[in-house]
Amino acid sequence: MIAFTVVTFVAAFLAAAALPAVTADARPDLPAVLVSRQLAAHAGLRTGDTVTLALDATGSGAMRFRVGGAYEPTPDPMRFTARRLEARMHLPDLNAITASPSDPGSVESVKAVNVRLADPNDAAAFASALAARAPGIFARPTARTRDGPDPFVVLERFHLAVATVTVLGSTAFLLALMTMRAEERRETVGIIRLIGVSQRSILMGVLVEGLLIATSGAVFGILVAVAAQGAINRFFQWRYDTALVFVRVTMSIALRSIMLSVPLGIVAGLVGAWTLLRRDLPALIRR
Amino acid sequence: MNAWALARRTVAHNPARAVLAVTGVGVIGALLFNMLLLSRGLLVSFRDLLDTAGYDVRVLAAQGSMVHREPIAGATALANAIGQLPAVERVALVRTDSAVATVPGRQTRGVTVTLVGSTENAIGGVWDIVKGSSLPLVSPAGSPPPLIVSTGMASQLQLEPGASLQIRVTLPGVASALPAIDCRIVGIGHFTFESSDEYTVATTMEGFAAVHGAEDRDSADLVLVASRSDAGPSAAAAAIALLRTDLRVYSNDQVLEQFNQNAFSYFRQISAILSSMTLAFAFLLVATLLTMSVNQRLGEVAALRALGFPRRRIAANLLCESALLVGTGGIAALPLGGVLAVALDRILRGMPGVPARLHFFVFEPRTVLLYAALLGATGVLAALYPIWLAARLPIAATLRREIIS
Repeated sequence: MIAFTVVTFVAAFLAAAALPAVTADARPDLPAVLVSRQLAAHAGLRTGDTVTLALDATGSGAMRFRVGGAYEPTPDPMRFTARRLEARMHLPDLNAITASPSDPGSVESVKAVNVRLADPNDAAAFASALAARAPGIFARPTARTRDGPDPFVVLERFHLAVATVTVLGSTAFLLALMTMRAEERRETVGIIRLIGVSQRSILMGVLVEGLLIATSGAVFGILVAVAAQGAINRFFQWRYDTALVFVRVTMSIALRSIMLSVPLGIVAGLVGAWTLLRRDLPALIRR
Repeated sequence: MNAWALARRTVAHNPARAVLAVTGVGVIGALLFNMLLLSRGLLVSFRDLLDTAGYDVRVLAAQGSMVHREPIAGATALANAIGQLPAVERVALVRTDSAVATVPGRQTRGVTVTLVGSTENAIGGVWDIVKGSSLPLVSPAGSPPPLIVSTGMASQLQLEPGASLQIRVTLPGVASALPAIDCRIVGIGHFTFESSDEYTVATTMEGFAAVHGAEDRDSADLVLVASRSDAGPSAAAAAIALLRTDLRVYSNDQVLEQFNQNAFSYFRQISAILSSMTLAFAFLLVATLLTMSVNQRLGEVAALRALGFPRRRIAANLLCESALLVGTGGIAALPLGGVLAVALDRILRGMPGVPARLHFFVFEPRTVLLYAALLGATGVLAALYPIWLAARLPIAATLRREIIS
């Protein structure tokens, strides 16, 4: 069963249209229009105001509407830098404004039709069949493919590359710190070896200690990321006046971070311990 | 022995630790260098693209945005009027549309192309001819429209100058389809603004009208203007703006500013965030490394103080140690950063619609200076806490503790 959406929205000509905000009494006989939050703030509009919408600044096709309310536009990551000065109205009202007297078909013209299929898996086949039956029609599924020309796939690869480089750099530092830490314990380890504790036991101790420190560090890192997520989102939402979420630390991302950082931390600790345990006893306890 | 010599000996005393620390600084420094390159790379590269095209003023219809614009009516008269302005040297009209190109006689599906109609036919303008000839100034009546195809398209479809190509314009929003028109390839060229995921085909304005069903609309999507060198783009733009008030006139600088505020702002800001985080990361790690190093050598520092070394000398020694680690790592980061920049640039240029000649990471000498200044400041700040630790330690108590332990 195919359901057609009957409400569409206007963006382009609204920027050129005159929108006098007349704070007159509410005119229930006028058709209603919803304005975006940004447009309401920009033009000083309130619910009940009467506005005039036209195709251009000269006022062609002008019609008066009653502001029925304000809405938050669905955030669009492809247009997050654009000012969302938009309005929504019923399709017959939009067609009445944009209709051309010389083109009778313009009263029934739309730019896009949204279709919901009974079986979403038929999207590709349906799009192909529709394009074949109606020349000049572009039909495509709304679901994004994970490969092919997608800017967000490219950005994901970029961020992954940056994260990989960061992990490599921090691993080098981690190894340096663990080596220094192991060197600090040289005498202590020598004395423990002297009193009979085996290398295996010392290694297990280092392993458990490394696991605790790495896990604590990973959890702390996740908490810092969550805090930074809030700050970054608030900043960019303020900067671009949008409700778009720019950073989101999901459970999957947190688990992946922990699964990468904990083994790295343990391995770094073991490498540091190995530099110590490979030495013979006199070298450990030398002063 | 001066502070530098002592610092060198201290670092060389534990080579494994030094190598690891320098490696860490090098990798993080490479990332910092890349983020600084990214902060202005797009701007610099886009400016180069605009300047290479040979035009420094762009005229658009007032309706629409920089990317999606309404056609300019009366384009021929407008071009003539602009060409007569004293500040203007050259004018070109441009129209663009989507089309499907097919090679006659082949069963393969056509490729989607951007069809560009232009009065521009001189070499070194919006495209550079690499094979064949440029668009003719006048085409014989009845002859197939001449085309210049991009090198990528020529390679993909194995096209040569003289070959035939069928062009069918796609008209979205119209319940009709135009027939395919036979055209002839006269040249193959590099298009300045062609992206890696689409092909560009250029033709004359008459050819553009022919593939649209010979409808001569006398309109243009864009008017390109080259100003006289003695007048400059600002004077040309101001003069053009007075001609028609229904048009928007932009100099290259203004186009850059628009893109900088909108399209490029994401990369500028991500660069700022990642640069800041990288610097904080480097500061934290170098400070931790130096602090642990000082803690391991408290006895040594106390002994030096007992011998008469002033606090200033101890601080200078630690500062030199920090400079050695950060400086060596920072220098090693430059070639590493260059390699990383090539890799990251290749990733980002995979974005659809990005001109193949646009680069995200562009080297500028000022970037190296900024990088050196930031890393240097980080090295100095990271050394402050260990210096404070070493400077304030009680000599006698420290020596006693060392002897007892």
